[in-house]
Amino acid sequence: MRRSALVLRKDLRVLVRSPLLLGVLIAYPLLVAGLVGLVAGYGSSKPRVALVDEDHLPQLVAVGGHRFRIQDAIDEVGKNVHLVRMDPVEARHALATGRVVATLTVPPGFLADLKSGLHSPSLVYQVTRGGISSRVTQQVQALVYGLNRQLQTAYVRTDLRYVQLIVTGGRAEFGGRTYDVLGLARMQKLLQQLPPGPQRERIAEFARIAGVALAQTGSLLGATANPIGLERAHEHSRSSLLSAQVQSYALALTITFLALLLAAGAIASERDENAIGRLRRGLISMGELVSAKVALAAVVALALGLAIALVFGVIVEAGGVAGGEPWQRLPLLAVGLVVAGAALGALGTLLGALARETRTASLVAVLVVMPVVFLGLVPREVVPVAGWLSDGLPFAHAVRYFSASLYDASPWGALVRELVWLVGLGLAFGVLARLATRRLLA
Amino acid sequence: MVRARGVARRFGSQVALEPTDIEVHAGEALALIGPNGAGKSTLLALLAGALEPSAGTIERVDDVRVGWVPQRAAFYDRLTARENLELFGRLEGEPEHAAVAQQLLIRFDVPADRPTHTLSVGNRQRLNVALALLGSPHVLLLDEPTAALDPGQRRRLWETVTALRDEGGSVVFATQNLEEIELYANRVAVLQRGRLTFVGPTAEYRELHAEEIFT
Repeated sequence: MRRSALVLRKDLRVLVRSPLLLGVLIAYPLLVAGLVGLVAGYGSSKPRVALVDEDHLPQLVAVGGHRFRIQDAIDEVGKNVHLVRMDPVEARHALATGRVVATLTVPPGFLADLKSGLHSPSLVYQVTRGGISSRVTQQVQALVYGLNRQLQTAYVRTDLRYVQLIVTGGRAEFGGRTYDVLGLARMQKLLQQLPPGPQRERIAEFARIAGVALAQTGSLLGATANPIGLERAHEHSRSSLLSAQVQSYALALTITFLALLLAAGAIASERDENAIGRLRRGLISMGELVSAKVALAAVVALALGLAIALVFGVIVEAGGVAGGEPWQRLPLLAVGLVVAGAALGALGTLLGALARETRTASLVAVLVVMPVVFLGLVPREVVPVAGWLSDGLPFAHAVRYFSASLYDASPWGALVRELVWLVGLGLAFGVLARLATRRLLA
Repeated sequence: MVRARGVARRFGSQVALEPTDIEVHAGEALALIGPNGAGKSTLLALLAGALEPSAGTIERVDDVRVGWVPQRAAFYDRLTARENLELFGRLEGEPEHAAVAQQLLIRFDVPADRPTHTLSVGNRQRLNVALALLGSPHVLLLDEPTAALDPGQRRRLWETVTALRDEGGSVVFATQNLEEIELYANRVAVLQRGRLTFVGPTAEYRELHAEEIFT
């Protein structure tokens, strides 16, 4: 242990004496984390969906006396989905070749059914399998929901006009014919002209109650159409840039990059500098040497991870972001940084021992970092294989640990589970790294 | 003090040293000679414990400490000479590592506080030798130690080596310099293409033609 500490101290001293390397090692993963965040957040935010108008909808559609601008509805959904008008053949081809992820077809007779109010017309939706199909489906469902909301308002107004006709009476058109409707109010006036008697009073009482009841119809119809409303409250909320997920990814990506590169380079440099032979002469066991490199990764991960958390925290506090930075959770985060750093360091040491030369080790580590990170970013429900592979690598566990340690209301279950994973992976990679050190002596 | 029994070493499919038996006695200086690629460095690294043998064993008398001067300098370039000496001194278990490091720096006249990657070839070799003396070794294994040294430093090195031998220690050195064999070796071991072809007193070796051995 003391010997490992001596080698660790040496490695830290060497690292401090390479400020450019240290700067690049810190700046590069943060830059990558930012770019990944941008790509994940915005790059695919507008999937292309083909709009096939087989009913030749006019620019302005009148339904139930309410006028809609079709383009306004398209613009509304276009905030989330890029709707592209196509003819049916072109749309089929685009869907087959993947140029669009879905097609939304307005079938012939759609508008006529809509205007009649007798049948509910349907839009026809086709989507590719896998990928972002579930997200596109949600966007299209949101489009239909939005259109239905507008139509419901129009229908309710139309219905209310008929109700109003029953209450007050007047002339109305229905089914192409004109009617003169008496109405409850005029009926009561006519009743006053009839001779008094119990029958007249009963009819008058009915007309009065019916009038009161029908007066409530407007709000009742509104409530029936939209039992639950959704209002967006404008408050000082956390931006996506400062979200728990982004913080967790930034932390995990940075320490993954650092730990893999440092550990791989550090173990390989023992051979490059020919020190491995001197050390092997009983000065330090190969197990202790591996421990020193693992400890190097853990120490640097802790220092850098806490620094990043501190910077995030200061930004969050300075911005007065809702929820604030959970400072009291930093000890939990520190534990995760050490354990994740050690697990990644063990993997890096394994890579370095296999590569044997510092330059090769660094290159291999850089090449390995990206797949390790991106496997952890692919949603398990989209590509299950990526999830399984990611389980065998420390990155995804580190992300989940950091997220839980900083923001979960009840983090203990997740923390223990991810810690067990990280410790297990660290031990497994450590044992493999110890075996691989034989290559350094060859 | 150190004995190799059937020690062999392969690097992949390449045989660097065929099974070899050799013993290093107390109070002797053994010269390892042979052409380039004969297996001298491999044998020294095996005796030092820096390499693991592919076959055979290395035996040491209890508590014997071995110092090793590899042909290529073996220390950390980003550390200074002092830091290297102190680090390896602590790993060797030197109780007074700082004081010992200072003594060696003076003795070998190595710039103490410059990163070693800025040192000249000669200074690096002197540090390489100084590192081998940490832990007060009983056996010193030197792989062409004087190749990069100036005459003054060579003399100082051999004074150190001779003193160690005279105190009952052992020295094994690989060399291409026949004069060094004459001056400092009691015994000579000849390696050719990974095979030990001769082990005997220097006088016996002298009777052979060195020219034949180096061809």
